[in-house]
Amino acid sequence: MRNDIFIAKLVFGILALTALGSAPLNFAVAHEEHKMECNETSMNAMNADVQAMGDGEGKSTAMKEMEMAKGMMGKKDMEGCMTHMHNAMEAVEK
Amino acid sequence: MSGLAGSWITRHWLIATLASVALLGIIGASLGVYAGLYDVAADVPHTQPVFWLMTTARERSVAVRAKDIAVPSDLADPKRIASGAGQYAEMCSSCHLAPGMKRTEISRGLYPRAPELRRKGRLTPAEQFWVVKHGIKMTGMPAWGVTHDDEVLWDVVAFLRKLPDLSADQYQALVKSAPKTHDEMMMDMGRDNEPDGHQKEDHH
Repeated sequence: MRNDIFIAKLVFGILALTALGSAPLNFAVAHEEHKMECNETSMNAMNADVQAMGDGEGKSTAMKEMEMAKGMMGKKDMEGCMTHMHNAMEAVEK
Repeated sequence: MSGLAGSWITRHWLIATLASVALLGIIGASLGVYAGLYDVAADVPHTQPVFWLMTTARERSVAVRAKDIAVPSDLADPKRIASGAGQYAEMCSSCHLAPGMKRTEISRGLYPRAPELRRKGRLTPAEQFWVVKHGIKMTGMPAWGVTHDDEVLWDVVAFLRKLPDLSADQYQALVKSAPKTHDEMMMDMGRDNEPDGHQKEDHH
């Protein structure tokens, strides 16, 4: 009985470690798919996507997010920039 | 008399000033073009005023040219829609995408972006037909009318009217139900038309 509990804990531990270990990989794959980086090329590509949107709430949101991303990039806050770029992308793909 | 002379001089000064400004504008624009000031790279978007100007010019150009096009009454015909779905999948989806389809490399790189046609647009059927047939300069949109006859293009328009309402599964089902593949349809057109575009006589 004690052995079973030990094995269950071991399996759970391995699964948890695997999940934790693969999280950054999953993020990187998703990231690569969208080529989401905070640099001029990505910002230009996103701006082109935003330009192509029809007028409406989604476009306003995306434009605001891009403005904020640009501001963050100016302040060298790449994390903040990426967050706003991601928000803009979500508005574009909605 | 002196009043008349003053008015003549004022008018001529005004004309001369306007002409000079126009001339300077033309010289400045020419120098800008020659110096390559405007970036034509597809990965750098137009400035907002240029984008607005080009979009408005395009929309008005299409609207004016499409206004007299007679739209067939059978655009809701399921056969037309199915046939259009098959053509769309082969000719259009790599740029304009489709329900359930991820963005392609070409759709990500085109500028201006090819509109995703699963989203409802503002074009009328006549305008859609005109765009499909004649294409649009400097956008990557080809003139399909050069190689396809009007009936085929109307099939595509019939499908485009339906596209925004389709789920991914419905889209796939429609494409599978297309009566002919694009190659078969092109072979049919090749059989029915002389190379110079004249219809062959039917000898059946």
